[in-house]
Amino acid sequence: MSEKPILSVKNIKTHFDVTKGLFAPKQIVKAVDDVSFDVYPNETFGLVGESGCGKSTLGRTIVKLYDPVDGSIEFNGVDISKIKGAELKEFSKDMQMIFQDPYASLNPRMTVGEIIKEPMIIHGIYNTDEEREARVVELLKIVGLKPDHIRRYPAEFSGGQRQRIGIARALAVNPKFIVCDEPISALDVSIQAQVINLLKNIQKEMGLSYLFIAHDLSMVKHISDKIGVMYLGHMMECGPSNDVYHRPLHPYTVALLSAIPIPDPNIAKAKSRIVLEGEIPSPINPPEGCVFCTRCSKATERCFKEKPQPIQVGNRIVSCFLYER
Amino acid sequence: MALLEVKNLCTEFKTDQGRVQAVRNVSFELGEKEVLGIVGESGSGKSQTMYSIIGLLAENGQISNGEVIFDGKNISRNQFSTKKEYEEMMSKIRGNSMAMIFQDPMTFLNPVLKIETQLVEPLLNHTNMSKEEARERALELMRLVGIPSPEKRITQYPFEFSGGMRQRIVIAIALACNPKLIIADEPTTALDVTIQAQVLELIEKLRTEADSSIIMITHDLGVVAKLCDRIAIMYGGKIVEIGTDKEIFYDPKHPYTHGLLSCIANPENDDEEELTPIPGSPPDLLNPPVGCPFVDRCTKAMKVCKLYPPEVTTYSDTHQCACWLCQKEALNK
Repeated sequence: MSEKPILSVKNIKTHFDVTKGLFAPKQIVKAVDDVSFDVYPNETFGLVGESGCGKSTLGRTIVKLYDPVDGSIEFNGVDISKIKGAELKEFSKDMQMIFQDPYASLNPRMTVGEIIKEPMIIHGIYNTDEEREARVVELLKIVGLKPDHIRRYPAEFSGGQRQRIGIARALAVNPKFIVCDEPISALDVSIQAQVINLLKNIQKEMGLSYLFIAHDLSMVKHISDKIGVMYLGHMMECGPSNDVYHRPLHPYTVALLSAIPIPDPNIAKAKSRIVLEGEIPSPINPPEGCVFCTRCSKATERCFKEKPQPIQVGNRIVSCFLYER
Repeated sequence: MALLEVKNLCTEFKTDQGRVQAVRNVSFELGEKEVLGIVGESGSGKSQTMYSIIGLLAENGQISNGEVIFDGKNISRNQFSTKKEYEEMMSKIRGNSMAMIFQDPMTFLNPVLKIETQLVEPLLNHTNMSKEEARERALELMRLVGIPSPEKRITQYPFEFSGGMRQRIVIAIALACNPKLIIADEPTTALDVTIQAQVLELIEKLRTEADSSIIMITHDLGVVAKLCDRIAIMYGGKIVEIGTDKEIFYDPKHPYTHGLLSCIANPENDDEEELTPIPGSPPDLLNPPVGCPFVDRCTKAMKVCKLYPPEVTTYSDTHQCACWLCQKEALNK
């Protein structure tokens, strides 16, 4: 791809200080540790991993809800990792977010119209209220709601409809990039497909790029061009979604993929699973070498001592000693 | 003979807004050593059907009609004149020959009791075991569900266990008295995929080792495809289709089953075909539709669907579907 990436994340680190008490030993959770990836225009980058792997933290760091301790986030060629104030406000016009819980992310005391209008007012996009109102009606139509929903309150809507309101709000300022943090996990199966299709159509029409965070691998594969697999704050493998799915390289990706239940009895009953032993170690005290070494069936002595660096294997980037030449 | 027989079960909840008819005329059978999957969206009545069977309905809920025959014995609430009698009878069955695995292990386990106390409790209640024997059996159960160093872990409290381990404890408690029927209510929904794989593996192992029938409530079609012999699809408080795993996945009859199968992404499929979502949202069970519950979202709805509840069309001994369209096609043949 000769195109320039719209978002380029390099060696980003987000740490949280969780020290309890004044004199207690310092405890740091390395929620995101040394993660790099690129997202190109009109592309969907899917981020998968189990709970606690840092995928949401990474998403929130990119929209600048958290400040990274190290590394750079280049958006449209500008490093945004340290911007503040007016610059940050300008940036947030281009980058919006859709949240997981449509019940918690909408203010129950504001009408749908007010919710969608708010980002326009903050960013001063339209001059008059009539213009804004017209835009809200337009947005409601885009996300499949009715114009007369504008005066209603979030409580009158179902989960799927609320998520549509969240999407309309994100679109209000004409962003170039949207971070979708588990936008479908709180929805029923039949509603999930509605939202996924909506997101795909909007992307086609408006030329958006998505960072799509989810733990449902089948949906992520369906919507994403590229997939990044995270484990304990690290990016284990990253590449085109079909390749990652059919020829996973990293032992963790292999195990994660074999754990997906396939909705087809013949395949599902014949499929042998690689069942990982044990659980994710605590991020306060991660393994010294490769973070996956405690559960990896192919771990060697070296994995316990040294951290593998990301290496290019074909069209993919893998952090594993197995693929070192 | 069937292990469990449910006939025309109806369950209602009294609320401030009126009566919510959560379960409407549900009938099914479960054979011995069989795994039945009950699939449905939230509010389809799948959990309430099971709570009605095991007698764990909330205070405002009541079974308004129907019969539950378990192991040759009628255990319906209306067989007993007082609530006390019913409860006495159920408490002998519950945790003994019929056990339940819940979705969220943390709310099921008592946080202030040691694992040992909780594992031994059903054994002391339902069997003549002495304390020592019960402890031995508890350790054996912990080994069976794959908890490492059970001698040490048995003296710990639930908070010292991780999510997957807690679910194993819950499964161990359910297995304590070798139940004939295990009802698993979304046992893996709260867990991560790799932990889900561990728990599914365990349930599969139990199925071959213990002689239990399992009813698996879930909304994840991948999980049912993996584990179940038969599948019932619930919608709006009713079973709309029931059949073997292959009949449901490869030869679905009801438009809702069709819809459900085409709106999930199958990762084995690479060609970027669009998902076909089901438009609209599920019906309100305060005032359920008189006819077919799916009528408002069905692309093939006819006039009759709105007016009368559909009759059941039988395709094979195992495959039945409640849809007017199927009835019409069957009549035309």
